[in-house]
Amino acid sequence: MIGDLAKASLDPEVVAAFDRLAIRTDELGYDPWGFHRDSARVLYSLSRQLARYFRPVVTGLENLPEGRVLIVPNHSGQLPFDGMVIAVTMLLEAQPPRLVRAMAERWVPTLPFVGEAFSRSGVVVGDPINCKNLLEHDNAILVFPEGARGSGKPWARRYRLEAFGRGFMRLALQTGTPIVPVSVVGAEESIPSITALPWLAKRLGVPYIPVPPHLPLLGPLAYLPLPTRFYVDFGAPLTFEGPYDDEDEAIQEKVDVVQATVQGMIDARLALRPGVFT
Amino acid sequence: MTRLLVTGVAGSLARLTALALQRDGHDVAGVDYRRRPKDHPDALPYTQANYNKTRIEDVVRRFRPETLLHLGRVGNLKLAVGKRFDLNVVGSGKLFELAQKYDVARVVVLSTFHIYGAHPANHVPIAEDEPLRSGADFPELSDAVQLDNLASQWAYRYARPETVVLRPTNVIGPDIKNAISTYLRQRTVARVLGFDPMWQFIHQTDVVEAIRLAATTPKLIGVYNIAANGTLPFSRALEECGARAWPIPGPLATQLLRTMGRFGPALPPYLVDFCRYPVIINDARFRAETGFVPKVGVLEALRSTVSTVDRRD
Repeated sequence: MIGDLAKASLDPEVVAAFDRLAIRTDELGYDPWGFHRDSARVLYSLSRQLARYFRPVVTGLENLPEGRVLIVPNHSGQLPFDGMVIAVTMLLEAQPPRLVRAMAERWVPTLPFVGEAFSRSGVVVGDPINCKNLLEHDNAILVFPEGARGSGKPWARRYRLEAFGRGFMRLALQTGTPIVPVSVVGAEESIPSITALPWLAKRLGVPYIPVPPHLPLLGPLAYLPLPTRFYVDFGAPLTFEGPYDDEDEAIQEKVDVVQATVQGMIDARLALRPGVFT
Repeated sequence: MTRLLVTGVAGSLARLTALALQRDGHDVAGVDYRRRPKDHPDALPYTQANYNKTRIEDVVRRFRPETLLHLGRVGNLKLAVGKRFDLNVVGSGKLFELAQKYDVARVVVLSTFHIYGAHPANHVPIAEDEPLRSGADFPELSDAVQLDNLASQWAYRYARPETVVLRPTNVIGPDIKNAISTYLRQRTVARVLGFDPMWQFIHQTDVVEAIRLAATTPKLIGVYNIAANGTLPFSRALEECGARAWPIPGPLATQLLRTMGRFGPALPPYLVDFCRYPVIINDARFRAETGFVPKVGVLEALRSTVSTVDRRD
């Protein structure tokens, strides 16, 4: 029965996009990370419905180069809807369709069901060896260099980037991969949070605990994302040269360039957008 | 023709390997700490000797093997920890000492991929020179880690004997009676709710071939992963075996398996983590250096493992 439901939920455009993808899988349809074409078609069909809720406005997809690429956006919104919208967009709107392999935090596989669904749809643990293997096979990699610090940001620090990690830059240098900076505007307001409760989160072993301002009023319903509009802008690819194993300071200079670019794109979009929901 | 001594020959995999090498025309003898099994083939010489007692030296002194295949790692968790440590760590040390003393040219040690440990941060695939995480989480596996460490040290410290350490993925097949093969043959099995990691399996004939190549490929030294073709989710493997799988919430699963293990065959507790997180190994080095090509596909390997079980209700 679940199989029938899954078939019924298939989105014909998602199916068509997957048919055009060149993905290396074995005869059972799996890749070694657990990506599975048939499961991914179902999961992407569902994700597309969710993504529609945010009515994304997308620009700059023509900036996506062929072959290997690192997609580097800001991270916000408590739950990874920003990653989901980027993945759906790259599958359905990029020409040709791209399956983006998102790099997840190392604790994501410990989440029951979530870890499984993520890996079937192509998400992998954010580990340099995974990333290097996938880039060498000319995949598109989605990496959030702010990590959980970005997605768990409270309202007061909205649209100010947390310091980017350096790992993505070393990988870009090592594999000769262009970096496409991306700004996502609108995710920040979807689940506003006044604090991340760092002391409680630490004791519970979770990265952050969002506290929406309307939590006392709505209870758990406060965690449902608001129907904000997402603006996703893909910037021109940045290429960097130099040794990948250079000193941190030298790598940091290059990282700062990417971070400043993303921040600039965010600021430009914020100045342009008519409102949070429009 | 080479004289080969095979340890662990009361077990299926060592016996199959010994017989295959005998068919190749080699002079093969077997040794095991266990009593000679009733169905042991007469044509294959068998001696019962504990690996860490003096009798093992008599076996080596009399037979004078040119190659020692140490396939006799004890995985049986029902054996007391101390006894397993004596056989696996002290016994292996003794065997290597004898190999040096009696001028054995090649030692092949069968280790296991379990020592990498199933961990959420594992990347894909895992190569030979990566950390062995299992010991930290599961003291049950510490003797396996130590055996592998010992053997790896020999490989790189001594030019003679040449030591080859093999770390195969899950070995299955109709004749294999290890924990995972026994588990797959159950009518009803437990799995961890909400987790379905990728697994690799290798068929017994492919492992035998890998050991044969490790024993005979000139100038081979070092540690090698051994995998086969194809990875698949754990649930898909269970499906292929026709087992009914009951999803058990994670915190209960370990306790349940511990309890079930007391009454009959079950997954050893350390394997519960393998039902949560993937351990996908890369055997490219072994393939490149020996020309190893596994022949049995993963589905065929699974089907053959349960072929002896009656699945009718």
